[in-house]
Amino acid sequence: MTRLAVPLLGVLLSTVSLAPVAFAQSGPGGRALAPGVKVEVAPAPGSGTAPQPGKVDETALRYYARIGDVERLEAEIARLRALDPTWEPPKDLFAPQPTTAGVDESPFWALVSAGKIAEARAAVAEQRRQTPSWQPSANLLKELDLAEAAGRLRGASDTKRWQDVIDAAAAQPEAVACNRLDNAWRLAEAYAELKQTDRAFDTYKTIVSQCPSAKERRDTIFKASRHLSQAQIRELTALGATANPAAGEDYAAVRAAEAEIETGRLLERAGTARPGSLSASDLAQLERTIREKQDSGGALALGWYFQRQKKYAEAQGWFAEANGWSPSDQAAEGLILAYAGLGRKAEARAAAEPWRGKSSRVDQALKSVDPPRGGGGRPAGPQGPSELDQALARRDFAGCLTAIQRAISRSGPTVALVQQRGWCLLELKRPSEAEAAFVEAQALAAREPVRGQGAARNSVRGAAEAEGGMTRAQENAYGQAIARLSTGDTVGLTQDLARLNLTPAQKAEVRASLLSTEAGRALEDKRYHDVLRLLDARKELVPEPRNLGIMRGWALYNLQRVEEAYKLFKSIDDRLSTRESREAVETSWKTIYHDW
Amino acid sequence: MTTPSRRPSRRDVLIAAATTGAAVAGLLALPGPALAAPYDAAAWRGYARRFLLPEGRVVDTGNKGVSHSEGQGYGMLLAEAADDREAFDRMWGWTQRNLMVRGDGLAAWRWQPDGGVTDRNNASDGDILIAWALLRGAERWKAEAYRTAAAAIVKALAAAVVVEQAGMTLLLPGRDGFRKGDTLVLNPSYWVFPALRAFAALPGAEIWRKVADSGLVLLSKARFGSFQLPADWVALDSGGTPTVAEGFRKQYGYDAVRVPLYLAWDGYRDPYYFRPFAMLAAKYGGTAVPATVSLPGGTTTQVAASVGMLAVYRLASRIAGTGNEVTVPAFGPDEDYYSTTLAHMAALAAQSLGFEP
Repeated sequence: MTRLAVPLLGVLLSTVSLAPVAFAQSGPGGRALAPGVKVEVAPAPGSGTAPQPGKVDETALRYYARIGDVERLEAEIARLRALDPTWEPPKDLFAPQPTTAGVDESPFWALVSAGKIAEARAAVAEQRRQTPSWQPSANLLKELDLAEAAGRLRGASDTKRWQDVIDAAAAQPEAVACNRLDNAWRLAEAYAELKQTDRAFDTYKTIVSQCPSAKERRDTIFKASRHLSQAQIRELTALGATANPAAGEDYAAVRAAEAEIETGRLLERAGTARPGSLSASDLAQLERTIREKQDSGGALALGWYFQRQKKYAEAQGWFAEANGWSPSDQAAEGLILAYAGLGRKAEARAAAEPWRGKSSRVDQALKSVDPPRGGGGRPAGPQGPSELDQALARRDFAGCLTAIQRAISRSGPTVALVQQRGWCLLELKRPSEAEAAFVEAQALAAREPVRGQGAARNSVRGAAEAEGGMTRAQENAYGQAIARLSTGDTVGLTQDLARLNLTPAQKAEVRASLLSTEAGRALEDKRYHDVLRLLDARKELVPEPRNLGIMRGWALYNLQRVEEAYKLFKSIDDRLSTRESREAVETSWKTIYHDW
Repeated sequence: MTTPSRRPSRRDVLIAAATTGAAVAGLLALPGPALAAPYDAAAWRGYARRFLLPEGRVVDTGNKGVSHSEGQGYGMLLAEAADDREAFDRMWGWTQRNLMVRGDGLAAWRWQPDGGVTDRNNASDGDILIAWALLRGAERWKAEAYRTAAAAIVKALAAAVVVEQAGMTLLLPGRDGFRKGDTLVLNPSYWVFPALRAFAALPGAEIWRKVADSGLVLLSKARFGSFQLPADWVALDSGGTPTVAEGFRKQYGYDAVRVPLYLAWDGYRDPYYFRPFAMLAAKYGGTAVPATVSLPGGTTTQVAASVGMLAVYRLASRIAGTGNEVTVPAFGPDEDYYSTTLAHMAALAAQSLGFEP
């Protein structure tokens, strides 16, 4: 592990230099660690400081020789030769060292290697007590100081003692360097938290101009986006994309960071803001970016943004884009509801077709196209959207309950109405009441004549058969199962599943949900092998959605399969970068390269 | 049960007494020798005259005239160093009669003039100091009875207050009341390193070597704030991570100032362990050093370090090699028990190390 220790802080405290200086960086050697191996495992005694010419420091060399680590030994020989071409490795490298200097430092280095810094300090102090003439090597002291400073910096940052973060960095500038990027980020964050935005900005600028890795520069810009203005992010991006380019690095991703951040910001606002609160120019920019990237997640978010405002035509357009770029039941759900809002029921049904009976989401959305009628009060045939239609098209589930209540008080309960109440209650995250509604619907179905109102409404399908080829009884069973899932009754449901009157597709879906719930529990209980087992079983039934992909990544991460976790997080993040996926990528990456 | 961890220490009273700035300024203005006063028979006579009662009780003048097991230990150590066996015996006798009433071989930590022992918990440093003084007395006066008594105390301590946590062998500050669930509350200044070394030399007492080793590890871990000072009271979780203990003053101060004293006395020389104290002293010019520093925040009190504390800083600064001198003023006419004791202990340590005559 190369650990050049040229400090960033010195640069940070002065003006930002753009000169192509050889700043600290994680060289390829630093990347060669096995998955999950922490950097402490690979101490670099001797690489902490560049020895003076003619005074080659052989401490590390002798340490590696002593512990028999030939690979590192050779790397160290190469490094020392590079520093001093006239230098030759000592002949007695493998001979036991005379103890004229008094003390063999290996035990202390071994403690440092194991991350036992306090124990190393104690051992050094005890050795100095016993051998007052002995001085620990400068390398050893440097390594201890650095490890402690980094620990202090992290501790202060974790407990939000921002000034202490800055003090720790100032006391040990080498703890803040490109090869300790996490520390540099923490320092910048500390400045930002203390409202010293200029210093934070300078720190970020130094990182993106001095640290060569494009990926690190891009990540830094994302980090900085929490603390800096749009204009500063623009400047940072321009700097990161151009300053001190290193061979073999592609800075296109750095250049794209600004737009991604802006898109993320706007999408976040689109998701949470009140309708119409995005300005026309924001909206235009967002639309442009989403089209450019064919970002189906972004298109979905925009679709819902318009759907909430009852701008069904715009919503339909974006759901269609999303579905075109990446077909999904979520996109189909949006399409169905947007078409329903436009009154184009045939197209809504057509959009549902690929998912009918396979996705509860789609089956539910279809109800806004062909909603259950109450009590036969209204004739079949041409009809404007009912109160219930409108509520469902708006995804206004409280409105759904009100409409159903009104219909029931007008003309009594029907299986369809009570089932719909169950679905709306589920949407409102009131699963116990939902389950009760499905039980009630089941009881009603037992009393209702087989040829009920449903037949009048839909002459094509039999009354006993609802959408997607499922019977009323099956829908009730299905609704109850979903409600029990939501209440967390996974154990009971797992036991009952085989006996439930469900279609095979429904069974698969419920089983998949059970498996993902169980996987979530396994993750909470830190049973990571179980998480993988459960997710694998689920994946055989249905494709793995993004959130479960992230769950799988954390399980891998915790099983020390950090490289695999990183790859998975990265692929998820590449598809759609959210805060969650970025943090997952960052954490796994830090663990592989920086967590020491 | 009274929680011994919340014992109002002499140090609190000291703060109250010294809070007037004028008193502090007056103390510091006294012209004094740059060198700490040496510890000798005359120094002991002065100490005994002021703090030792005829019956053998060492009085904490800064704390309502109470006595502590710790004070008895300090008094016995000073008497031993001054070769005053008669006073040593008086103190040991009083300690046995009045404090060693628990039945487990350890001493109750405090005796009050108006009630004697009201809280039977022990203070581990008091027991350690007493046992160490007995071992030193046994050496000096070739008295096996002292060694036997010391060995009994050491054995009782091992049974009552030595615990394992996170791979370390640690010293509880007292038998009761310092375990909070998985977390231990520790006092770093209770590691009287030279005493622990003496204990480890006793037959079958190797565990004390581990206690000492773990103490060094603890002192490397339990560093807080910008000076990286140890807290008076430290909480150590089951994973071995230290924090400044809740329920105590979150500070470095009257307790932890003894950490460098004991390390120095035991022959430790690594500047790493002395630098925090030296840096604190250096920041305040070696004179108006604050008596306490809040941790991790770093807020200092108006109260200045006493003469005895400055004597410790002087010692620590010399070992740290930070190049700063600490001026130790002469004792004031009413210098209290704790300050005087610390000053004499610092002088004894320096003399035993050959630093000073």
